[in-house]
Amino acid sequence: MRRTLLAVAVIVILLAGLASAQSPRRGGTLRAGLDADPPNMDPHQSIAAVDRQVFQNLYDKLVDVNQNLEIVPMLATSWTIANNGRTYTFRLRPNVVFHDGTPFNAEAVRYNFERMLDRAFGSPRRSEIVLVERVTVVDPLTVQIDLEKPFSPFLSVLSDRAGMMVSPAAARRLGRDFAREPVGTGPYRFVEKRPQERIVLERFDRYWDRNAAFVDRIVYRPFPDEQARVANLRAGELEIINMVPATEVPALKTDARVRLLERAGLAYQGIWLQIESPPFNNKALRQALNAAIDRRTLARVVFGETVAPANGPFPTGMLASDAGPNARIPERNLELARQKLREGGQAGGFAFTMKTAPGRIQQQVVQVIQSMAGEAGIRVNLEIVEFGALLSQLSSRQFQAIQIGWSGRPDPDGNIYAFFVTGGGLNYGPYSNPKVDSLLDAARILTSADHRKRAYGEILEILNDDLPYIYLWWPKEYKAMRPNLQGFVHISDGMMRFRNVWLNP
Amino acid sequence: MTRYITRRLLLTIPVLLLVSMVVFTLIALIPGDPALVFAGGEADPEAIEALRRHLGLDRPLVVRYAIWLGHVLRGDLGKSVRDGRPVREVLLLKLPVTVELAVLSLVVSWAIAVPAGVLAAWKRRSVLDYAATTVALAGISIPNFWLGIMLIYLLAVNLRWLPPSGYVEPWIDPARNLQMMVMPATVLGTALAALVMRLLRSSMLEVLGTEYIRTAQAKGLRDRVVLVRHALKNAMIPVATVMGLQLGGLLGGAVITETIFAVPGIGRLAVESILTRDYPMVQGVVLFSAVAIVFVNFAVDVSYSFLDPRIRLVEERR
Repeated sequence: MRRTLLAVAVIVILLAGLASAQSPRRGGTLRAGLDADPPNMDPHQSIAAVDRQVFQNLYDKLVDVNQNLEIVPMLATSWTIANNGRTYTFRLRPNVVFHDGTPFNAEAVRYNFERMLDRAFGSPRRSEIVLVERVTVVDPLTVQIDLEKPFSPFLSVLSDRAGMMVSPAAARRLGRDFAREPVGTGPYRFVEKRPQERIVLERFDRYWDRNAAFVDRIVYRPFPDEQARVANLRAGELEIINMVPATEVPALKTDARVRLLERAGLAYQGIWLQIESPPFNNKALRQALNAAIDRRTLARVVFGETVAPANGPFPTGMLASDAGPNARIPERNLELARQKLREGGQAGGFAFTMKTAPGRIQQQVVQVIQSMAGEAGIRVNLEIVEFGALLSQLSSRQFQAIQIGWSGRPDPDGNIYAFFVTGGGLNYGPYSNPKVDSLLDAARILTSADHRKRAYGEILEILNDDLPYIYLWWPKEYKAMRPNLQGFVHISDGMMRFRNVWLNP
Repeated sequence: MTRYITRRLLLTIPVLLLVSMVVFTLIALIPGDPALVFAGGEADPEAIEALRRHLGLDRPLVVRYAIWLGHVLRGDLGKSVRDGRPVREVLLLKLPVTVELAVLSLVVSWAIAVPAGVLAAWKRRSVLDYAATTVALAGISIPNFWLGIMLIYLLAVNLRWLPPSGYVEPWIDPARNLQMMVMPATVLGTALAALVMRLLRSSMLEVLGTEYIRTAQAKGLRDRVVLVRHALKNAMIPVATVMGLQLGGLLGGAVITETIFAVPGIGRLAVESILTRDYPMVQGVVLFSAVAIVFVNFAVDVSYSFLDPRIRLVEERR
């Protein structure tokens, strides 16, 4: 009996110890190392990807995504979709205030949409929500949004910058200068921003979720040099870093001072082929190049398995990642490459110029492709172009081939639509195929995941035959942090959500 | 003297005007549209067009320059394209950082170069001379970024003597500020020291061969007095010129060092502004650097007369 009691006591004590180890601690300063200096703190003006890291903690969104990339409530506690996917009615969270004390309600939501849609304001968000026809305040905590036509990625769009709510009072008062004194409803409020030096946020005491915002302050520091970013983490000057360099991954995996998290990401990389002029207006030559590339070797040799070989725009874990040829990685086939060269009337091979941005990894990638293509008789001239100039040449189609990728969006639509729909804003091929157009539009209207997946599968069967873009690899998403940072949930979008993290001593 | 100074100051105006014009044209010639660069290729054409209009990029270059110049004459350097901050405000934020780093780097450089240069000249062709020359060559040859990363790994990550990078204002935490400045100032200082040391050595050799040094030695003056008071002072003139140029360069920002050590100075501001095509900011930085270089050179010219009383800053009478 006594022994049983003792055993029970021991178990109780152990469980208590376990519970206390798991329960969040309040206080402390969390220092996060970013890959660049976030330029703009207004989510409705922002275009730099790195801005979104800070936004995660400064703003709440109407909805968010969880680790499975499913839509979960945030400022909207529930919603209904009616009228064949054209009407979204959101029930809003009560007792939410902005950092300046302005109440958050349906009126605030209406103002935010008006702000993004205002042509004079020129928000980059406008095109993301351009299908919004009308925003109606039903009651103070219910807002109804009517779309021009059904758009199934709508909620996913609202889980990013377009769903971030800014204080109407502050936005009206400051106009474009809102970026310098941003006011949201997030768990942390803005303190200061010194360009290229730091951004400081501090706990918002009136935050609606009492069981969040454990850390007192968050300090973001930009480290454009990746070596310096990693060194600062190792030295204990940072608790977490964004954009872990692939070359450092093996060493970080075994470093006891650091915890490395790995997940499939949302991004893809590959090569745009300009299909209006020679040589790549010839489909057989595009196929010849594609057949000459060994994706698995490329991923292993250049990246040491920090990326996965790809054959489509949907990395593992994303809806539609198992659709069609997306994850069916083709084997290298030199025989097929030579046959396609003959079909294309270039039996002796051909030459083209491939452009890429500066950087060691980028150069290795194009060199590996150069040698692989060379074995098939395709001569690749490499041209390293500064990133800004590269983007200009891409959008003005001054290229034969460009190695460039996409950072990725949680909904498959964001990884494919604008790239291949006729006249799409990111369609650099430029590619046009009525069948693909109608399938892309169908995938936007379809609400069932299975139906959408099937549509994307059909699209990829066509695209991977036409090849305006050769998908090569999916970068994995890494976060490196000090072991004392607890409670971090690693999501494929790579965003650092600090609302539920805490620091152990 | 006053007339000379006034004339020199007036001469800076056309210099600055020319610099600003050249820079304005050159930036406009860089391929790459700021609106596109901001978006990192990830915004749609409508958003980019709106941004372009907002930035005034739809106007002709000459008009943009005239507008900019008009504002500058009224003391307004414009606003950053990236975040709408006034350029002047950002420059004033970065200025103390860069000035501190520049001054500390020069101090490190002097502390190494002056004794090494003097000793190498005095004990010429000795082991000491060769050792100093070797170190100097190493200082010139080792790239900043490599030395910087090595120092971080040695002193910050492994030995944990110094913080790896960053910046705190000296008026907030002077001790930590100095700790953070040690490594960047050393990296910059050693590279500068090498050049100064080589220059000082040859300049000293020249002076040591002159007759008045022999006279001083014949008078029985101690070596230290001959070296420091008689030889060094006169040997410093070419060195002062080079150091002036170095200081001017440092005030324009030390890009690589600032990036590695996350020092938020003018250099990083310049590079980041160029990479993001933040035209008003680039203009502001370049204008500031031009002003700094012009004035440091001016100060160097004035300093000659203190180093060598034979040099007098007067206008020739005709």
